[in-house]
Amino acid sequence: MSTLKLDHVTKAFDDGSEDIIAVDDLSMTIDDGEFLVLVGPSGCGKSTTLRMLAGLETITAGEIHLGDRVINDVKPKDRDVAMVFQSYALYPHMTVRENMNFGLEESTTLSDEEIRPLVTETAEMLGIDELLDRTPDELSGGQQQRVALGRAIVRDPEVFLMDEPLSNLDAKLRSDMRTELQQLQGELGTTTVYVTHDQTEAMTMGDRIAILNDGVLQQVATPLEAYHRPANRFVAGFIGDPSMNFFEMTVQDDRLVTEQFTYPLTRKLRDAVDDVSQVTFGVRPESIELTQATAAIDHESVEFIAEVSDEHSFETIVDVVEPMGNENTIHLSFSGADDATFVATIDGERELTPGQTVVAHIPESEIHLFDGETGLAVHNRLRDESEATESTM
Amino acid sequence: MSIHERASDGRQLLLYGVLVALIGFYLLPIEIGLMTSLKMNPLSTAPFLPPGLDGFTLEKWRQAFSQLANGLFNSLVLAIPATILSALLGSTAAYGLTTLNWRGQMPILVLFIAGIFIPYQAVLIPLSKFWAVYLPLDELLQTVWGLPMLEPYHGDLLALIISHVAYGIPITTLLFRTYYRNFSVEMIEAARLDGATPIRIYWRIILPLSVPMFAVTLIYQFTQVWNDLLFALVVVGPGEGAPVTVPLSQLGASLSEIGFGVRMAGAFIAALPTIVVYIMFGEQFAKGVAT
Repeated sequence: MSTLKLDHVTKAFDDGSEDIIAVDDLSMTIDDGEFLVLVGPSGCGKSTTLRMLAGLETITAGEIHLGDRVINDVKPKDRDVAMVFQSYALYPHMTVRENMNFGLEESTTLSDEEIRPLVTETAEMLGIDELLDRTPDELSGGQQQRVALGRAIVRDPEVFLMDEPLSNLDAKLRSDMRTELQQLQGELGTTTVYVTHDQTEAMTMGDRIAILNDGVLQQVATPLEAYHRPANRFVAGFIGDPSMNFFEMTVQDDRLVTEQFTYPLTRKLRDAVDDVSQVTFGVRPESIELTQATAAIDHESVEFIAEVSDEHSFETIVDVVEPMGNENTIHLSFSGADDATFVATIDGERELTPGQTVVAHIPESEIHLFDGETGLAVHNRLRDESEATESTM
Repeated sequence: MSIHERASDGRQLLLYGVLVALIGFYLLPIEIGLMTSLKMNPLSTAPFLPPGLDGFTLEKWRQAFSQLANGLFNSLVLAIPATILSALLGSTAAYGLTTLNWRGQMPILVLFIAGIFIPYQAVLIPLSKFWAVYLPLDELLQTVWGLPMLEPYHGDLLALIISHVAYGIPITTLLFRTYYRNFSVEMIEAARLDGATPIRIYWRIILPLSVPMFAVTLIYQFTQVWNDLLFALVVVGPGEGAPVTVPLSQLGASLSEIGFGVRMAGAFIAALPTIVVYIMFGEQFAKGVAT
């Protein structure tokens, strides 16, 4: 039906002297009815990919299949795709109804009498039926955004393409619309490609997410898979907020060594890093356990020493505390090394003050190891449900 | 009342004083013209003073109107189609050169822009030769002039219309191009995805959004064409087909007296249509200029 397939798609922009590769050899399949989120930093080629799917950009190499036809040279209007733009791109001189009529009038042979109930029905579904006679300049941002969605939905296309549709909304509205959009897509069952730079949107909305960097696909996976079993260092750092802590370390015997600390490895982990000498050590902020060593006297106490003597625990100093309500984000540095900072999140009820000394415990089961040169994951944290499955790349 | 308020009152007074003086300065020539046109003997009193009861006459206006009536009609026949055509063509050209993307549009745009800088005087001889020798419309379309209401001199007017349209296209294109560059690219892309062809996009989206810029170009072009004397003299010349500027230039010329009164009345009559056009499109004009 409407499976969307990208087959070694490349886009190069001609910049006079040399070509700029915006999208490099991108292959992936988006299943019928799937909600796929394309995510990456700005300039990673995600919007270009979407525009190629829409037919607004030509394809330099490769093929795009929609269902069983190749749509490389099919004009935008004949592709049966609808797009929602970041700026909404409503027609300012037309009423909401006329905006929604436009696509049906231009792309179908439906009569006005047939179009009318379709538009009314879609508007009711989106809760904008009261606004049908207004023009866009009389609507709020959220309402305009709904009209833009309605304009796409009413055409009942094979594929929805959405280019950062929520990024012009304020935070509260954005999270509401996120949920609503997801529900809507579930009800309609239309294949959707959604572009965003916001990893929260990617995590919460997508059936699967595709992470792009520099025009190269990094990983296509379910949000949890990408979070827990990132294919490489880039994905690990991009997905998750606050992002993963990284340390560049050297493998020495059965230990990982950096200037600030040494991290012993058990046998199983040691085997994983057998082929590499430089690794990037990664640990998520919520995986770090902080034990308080509050009073100065505690420094000398037996209990404190016992904790630090655990080889995966380290003495650190609290630099900054950012209360988020439900949790606190703690910026820490190793004692005696101000430049090596990292972030941990703890329960919002616990109070820490800057300057305080705490013990950070980094459990071995929680760490990620990446090849220091290629950035590819050599070991991901152990999780019961996903331990057996290999991360798909 | 505080000192500050008093000071600002003083400043206000000064401001209005200057403004009133400026209004007087700019309106004085018009006032003098009007008064002169209403006097039996323009030189009897100081030019800015109104005529006395016994010196008042509308005879100069009647005279001027009867001499200019034919020219006024010709000018309307000339200026209305020339203005509308050059605005429409400028708008479509700007759409094709700005909103649509295609190879080689830059050199063509440069040619359009270059047209703005060719002075009227530089093309007078080629232009008159072109219409008189290579494309004499009054002869070529002889059968057409046989139709009721049409005269051979309409061929000259047609030539003048085409000349003005051609001459107006560069500037109108530039004006519309500036306007269209501010249009959202995403909006045009949305229309393309909605299934509209470039012509439909122009018709349903670009054109309705161009109204303020049409007001600007209509006013500008109408004034330009209406006030033109040079092309009118060269392409049409004095005679039945002459636009109003030609008889206006000959008005009141006689050996016995300098016809101040009739000249002033004629100038007012000839200027009236441009003022009417400005009032008609003034509101949209302001919007178009503001963007």
